[in-house]
Amino acid sequence: MKIVMKFGGTSMSGANNIRHAASLALAHAKDHAVVCVVSAMDGVTEQLLDLGQSAAAGNRASVLGVLSRIRTEHEAAANTLGCLPLIDTTLRKLETLVEGISAIGELTPRSKDAVVAYGERLSTILMGAAMSCPAMDGYEAGIVTTDHFTSADPLMELSVFQVRSRLGPLVAPGKPVVVAGFIAGNQHGVTTTLGRGGSDYTATILGAALQADEIWIWSDVDGMMTADPRVVGAARLMSHITFGEAVEMGKFGAKSMHPRALEPASESGIPVRMRNTFKPDNPGTLIASAETVERATRASAPSSQTISQRPARPVLAVPALKNMSFITVGGATMIGRTGTAAAIFDALAAARVNVHMICQSVSESGISIAVSAAHTDEARSALERAIIGVLGERTARAIDVQRAVTIVACVGAGMRGSPGVAARVFTAIARDSINVLAIAQGSSELSIALAVLDKDGPAAVRSLHAEFNLAE
Amino acid sequence: MRIALVGFGVVGKALVELLDAQRDVLLARHGLNPKIIAVMDSRGAAVSEHGLSSGELLACKNAHATVGAMPAHGQLGAPSERLIRDVGCDVLVETSPSDLRRPDIAIAHLRAAMSAGMHVVTVNKAPLAVAMPALLELARYNRVGFRFSGTVGAGTPVLALASRCAQGNRVRAVRAIINGTTNFILSRMTETGEQFDDALAEAVRLGYAETDPSNDIDGVDTAMKLTILANHIMGRRATIADVNRQGIRGLARQRLDDARARNCVIKLIGRIDDSGMSVAPEEVPLNSPLNVGGSLNAVALDCAVGGEVVIIGRGAGGPETATAILRDLIDIWQLDFDHHPAKAHP
Repeated sequence: MKIVMKFGGTSMSGANNIRHAASLALAHAKDHAVVCVVSAMDGVTEQLLDLGQSAAAGNRASVLGVLSRIRTEHEAAANTLGCLPLIDTTLRKLETLVEGISAIGELTPRSKDAVVAYGERLSTILMGAAMSCPAMDGYEAGIVTTDHFTSADPLMELSVFQVRSRLGPLVAPGKPVVVAGFIAGNQHGVTTTLGRGGSDYTATILGAALQADEIWIWSDVDGMMTADPRVVGAARLMSHITFGEAVEMGKFGAKSMHPRALEPASESGIPVRMRNTFKPDNPGTLIASAETVERATRASAPSSQTISQRPARPVLAVPALKNMSFITVGGATMIGRTGTAAAIFDALAAARVNVHMICQSVSESGISIAVSAAHTDEARSALERAIIGVLGERTARAIDVQRAVTIVACVGAGMRGSPGVAARVFTAIARDSINVLAIAQGSSELSIALAVLDKDGPAAVRSLHAEFNLAE
Repeated sequence: MRIALVGFGVVGKALVELLDAQRDVLLARHGLNPKIIAVMDSRGAAVSEHGLSSGELLACKNAHATVGAMPAHGQLGAPSERLIRDVGCDVLVETSPSDLRRPDIAIAHLRAAMSAGMHVVTVNKAPLAVAMPALLELARYNRVGFRFSGTVGAGTPVLALASRCAQGNRVRAVRAIINGTTNFILSRMTETGEQFDDALAEAVRLGYAETDPSNDIDGVDTAMKLTILANHIMGRRATIADVNRQGIRGLARQRLDDARARNCVIKLIGRIDDSGMSVAPEEVPLNSPLNVGGSLNAVALDCAVGGEVVIIGRGAGGPETATAILRDLIDIWQLDFDHHPAKAHP
């Protein structure tokens, strides 16, 4: 088998964890061709961002503080793993870079990427030493991206071609390779980072390029759960889930992979397995194509008590996203007026506000959108200016903001074309006297989402979890 | 239009001569005034900001085997990607021989040009054969024109005609005779009753066979062109590794005689269909439009609506390939003008 496995930040924190991850990888690398993709040590990416900002702001004390923390942490691990000289050289390069940023006094997206990339550079050296195998960054492995620094997109065809010719020949059973996650380069070789999805994205890009048999994501969670176990005590681990369902779960903030990172895997049909580094015997959750999931479901024993099966369940999981805000743009002036929705979403896009949920009443007298708490004020003022203010054409009369809102979703490919799911959802919610602010269902029928107040969120999740027997 | 030319063999020389011969027509009809700013061959380069004279280029190449020996403008040593980026041209024209053993050199040239915002015309098939999806993506991303009509059919605009056929229709399958040398050998074996080796010797004597005939007779050239067809007219993300390939080296006389008994001839056919891509000697009925003689090329497209369309024409030769390059240059000139009317400088 050919396996691309990614280790997250927790697995890279400290020599002991790195050794543990290395031994896991090496155990599989004996018989399989293994590529290890690694994240930065836990918390280091944030420290590096802080470092770049402090340097640009001329805050010397903070720069020295962060640099020495990063140095201490990595040198300690390097000492144990026997790669101190290389770590030292790399840290010196980082120090030079930071001096340059201090001198110029500004942190461009390009220099931000150059700084942040050191997190993965350093952990890659450590992992390479722990596994005694070649280690390289994503650009060296062949991933080329657009110039969109801090959130670059891979030039997929070019990356596939390069990864196959560069990384491909190096990997074989008994010959693993470590590749830094998150980092790549543009076509001129300037360092870029992949933004959201980060190292998982690197793993799926490499997996797709190398036509891997599986992609494993090692982290500190068991896999994907039917609901947040802190909310629902009876929540269970899901053994299989389709790409479409996983993308939907990811959107609702479940401990899943970022939908962007899943794309290369789902396009090339390569199964992704989420596993827990600290419980390596657990099978975790398999994210795969609908056909693979169906086959795996039929093959697994129906008597299994620990893992939830999928006997044609309409709903698989109930993820929830709390601390959202619900903004309603309303007024009779909106009725029958074309372009109102466009004006609203143009204004939000210009303010770079991400919209999580959209509802419009059939009367056209109101459009409601859900945004994250952090974006609420920006969204509100953008709308006030564009829709109500002097710049707008007074398309709407009022903008109403409801804070502390939870979006609860019922996710499952099984609800497609199975009538009565919505009725069950609302019956369950009504039974517990929970007030529903808004409802949205996409035409893909992979999920039904409800907006409720934060205080009602946990109860809503529990009652839906129970209604669809997800504990069994 | 400022042109950087990589490769100065038969095709490169023919292009320089053609541009000279057509100069007045190009300006009058297309507002196109091509200037050769840089020429690079395997041993050196010549660069002039004001354009190189075709007479001097040809004289120098013939006398010294490299344009690097040109007085004032020449520089010896293998040309680099840096030179391509630094010459500041509108278009890179790549005419190096299609060498599948080292496609990386030409790929590096094309990438350097595209990443510097230059349009690219190539008649070198090797980079396309191994990395066509990647190169198409790179051209799209850098918003540059990328043309390669000389790679298949040379003087016969096979790619342009075929992609027109595919517009609003669907090409289900392709059967193609796209290597003149092997078709000459097979036609000759059919007509004269000769053995393979004698027909090959005749092809070499007449200059049909390339320096090393293995590229032709082992089906490599056909496989490269087939890969380009698959990407260009059928939108497949294919590379030469996807082609199942069998050539005609040492083809037994008996096979042609057996075919004749069934009113058929043997042709080296490149095939793209639902089962994949292949190159192999196949029997073709005597009355099939694919039964083309001499060194002719023929491409049969099986269209979802309307059935078979066959394009027949000459496929090789320096002047023919140079014409294809000029066709591409005019195309790019028009494209460039449409996109940046202000930038256009005749």
